[in-house]
This record gives sequence, structure tokens and C-alpha cells, in this order.
Amino acid sequence: MTSVLKGNFTPKKTVDLEPEKKDLETRFENAALKRLGGSIAFVAKKKIKWDADE
Amino acid sequence: MTSSKTPSAAEQGGALGRQLVARMGELTAQRHGALALENAARNQDFLDRGRSLAALRETPLGNGDSAVVIAAGPSLKRRDPIKAIRERNYRGCIITTESALPYCLRNGVVPDLTITLDPHATRIVRWFGDPGLDREALEADDYYRRQDMDDTFANEVKTNREVLSLLDRHGKDVRIALATSASEAVVRRVIDTGMKIFWWNPMLDDPDEPGSVTADLQRRNGLPCVNAGGNVGTAAWMMAGAVLGKQRVAVTGMDFGYYDDTPYKRTQYYNEILDCVGEAGLDTVFMRVYNPHIKAWFYTDPAYMWYREAFLEMAADADYRTYNCTGGGILFGGAVESMGIETFLDRFE
Repeated sequence: MTSVLKGNFTPKKTVDLEPEKKDLETRFENAALKRLGGSIAFVAKKKIKWDADE
Repeated sequence: MTSSKTPSAAEQGGALGRQLVARMGELTAQRHGALALENAARNQDFLDRGRSLAALRETPLGNGDSAVVIAAGPSLKRRDPIKAIRERNYRGCIITTESALPYCLRNGVVPDLTITLDPHATRIVRWFGDPGLDREALEADDYYRRQDMDDTFANEVKTNREVLSLLDRHGKDVRIALATSASEAVVRRVIDTGMKIFWWNPMLDDPDEPGSVTADLQRRNGLPCVNAGGNVGTAAWMMAGAVLGKQRVAVTGMDFGYYDDTPYKRTQYYNEILDCVGEAGLDTVFMRVYNPHIKAWFYTDPAYMWYREAFLEMAADADYRTYNCTGGGILFGGAVESMGIETFLDRFE
């Protein structure tokens, strides 16, 4: 059994774990898009616009 | 855009959460933009029940040039800022978020101005007392039961009765800066309790850009547009300086985060974050921040971190001084000076 767990063959391709990690992040972001957010917008460099004609 | 770094802010964890902070503006617009406009359209029929926020520019509120903003972060119950405000008989301007209004009234203080903003259809009215609160509504939403905010809100039915009574009694003495984005339930309650209404539009996008929905809204209702910085606490701070002209503005209860000993489950977005990453992924979303003024660690979620970064950017651009007297949380650095509320009151009234 121990020899099986150690691996008893050489894979033809190198396994890249990065895509799985990126996939997790993408899935998280997509889920977050549907659920998270603040109360209202933040508009950079703005304070108050008193009148429409300003 | 906002900077992701603040002087002296040691941070830990939250790699996924940090990625989201940069996208919070987009997420917020997607979730709340349409709802805010929908509410504003409905509220058009109620604008004659109040005046424009512009009327407050000519109304001196409180003595002198200082103001204290009271928000409802977790420090409110631990630091109890109203105690110092009452003991020192502070005569300056007191501005509160709607979420801290029950706290003020319970402590015998009617603030000079209360702010409400969030368009959520059912949650915000709870701070005013919800006449329609029933078992079905309670079972559908555990938002208030879970949170490390006002403890009394965990006992929902009893607290709702108390807040209904407080607001029925004091509503007529309350001035409220009522955003056109507010829900039907909030607007009805504000009108029913006899509050003095001052209407304003929250900026939903840059009103100076072509095709702006904010500019379009302003053309239709003629009300001032205010940059609320993402949340009602920042909106209250903005009103203090940019509307009322106060030169020294203290903020209290403005944590934008949680005490390090708070279970994740008692945070605002716990259910949403749990759905996204599961129990094992929570540490990748929540960010820990060391506050060198308090000499303690706090933690925060992507929405609160976004609020913090927006606030620091706005404070740096403000024509007035900002003092954080919260005594906890993650808001520090840049143009924000940290001090105890007692020091602020002694120095600036």
C-alpha cells in the first residue's frame, strides 16, 4: 500500500496546480459579484454638486 | 482610484479579500445602483414633505465650528462616546447615522442632524422601528441577530417595540438628511414620525461625466448631489464639513472593522462570504490590520476596507480637519488624526 501512495508511475504531463487556484479565485469573484457591495457608490475627487448647472 | 496602502498599517491575511477591495465600487453599483434610482423615482412623490438639503447651508446647527459624528460601529458599546459628550455638556453639533439614532435617543440626546442613505428595502427601517416587523420577516433575515453592533438589536422584537416608541416620541424633534435612495419603508416611517426632512441625492456616478445617472436625477428633482463615500458614516462626516461648514469634525463609532475577538459569524457579510469560500476560506477574505494608535489588531472585510480607503482619500481632499475619536477599528493615517473623544471635546468646543 505504501508503495502505491508514493507513486508507481511517471505521468506523461507535468501537473500544473496554478489553473485550479486561478479557477477558485475566479469562482470566488463571480460569487462575490452577486453577494457583496457597499451601501452606495464612492465617486473619487467629488464632494457636493449643489446645482445641476454648476 | 484609492490607494491600497496606508502609513503604519501592518496587515495580515485576506489575499482574496484584498483583490475584491479594488472591485467594491463596481460591485456596489451592480447591486444597489438600480435600486437607488428606483427608490428615487418613487420618492419624487414625497419631496414636498420636506425641503432641500441646501436649506441647511443657512441653518447653523450647534455652537462653534466643531461637530461630532456618531456612527454605530462595534466600538460604540465598548467606548460609549455619548458619556463624554454628556458629561462635558458639549454644545457643538452632533450628527448621527440612522443606525446610531436609537443609541442617542436612549441616552437622552436628540442629535442636531441624522443621516440615512442605504436603499435596502427592509433592513434600514429597523433603526427607525419597523411597524410591519413580523415572524416571517425575522425568520427570513438574521442580519441584526448576528451582528456585533448594538447588542439590544439581537433581541429583535423587544428592541423594535422600544425603537418604535422612542421614535414616535422624539421623531418630531429630529432633523433628517434623507437620501432620495431611501426605501419606501424608511420614507414612510420618517414621515409618520414627523421628522423634519432635508432631501439629497447620493452620487451614483460622476455627475460631471456625459450620460451620468446622478446628473440626470439632479436635473429631475433639483436636489444637491453628495458623495457619500460608500456608506452612511462617511456621508455624515461629509455633511458636517461640506454642508454645515464645520472646521473640526470628530468621528466616533467609525470602526470600519471588528475587534479581533469577534467571531466571523458576527460580522456584516458573514453569510455572503461563507457562501463564496466556505468555512475553510474565511481567512483568505478577512484582512487583519494593526492599529498603532490603539496598539491592537482588528480585522475587516472587503466592504469595510473599501470604505476606509475611500474615507482616507476624501479626508485628504477635505477643507476641514478630521479627528478619529472612535478608539478602535482600522481608520487611521493620512489626514485623519487619532485622539480620544475627551481630548477632542476639551480642545475644540
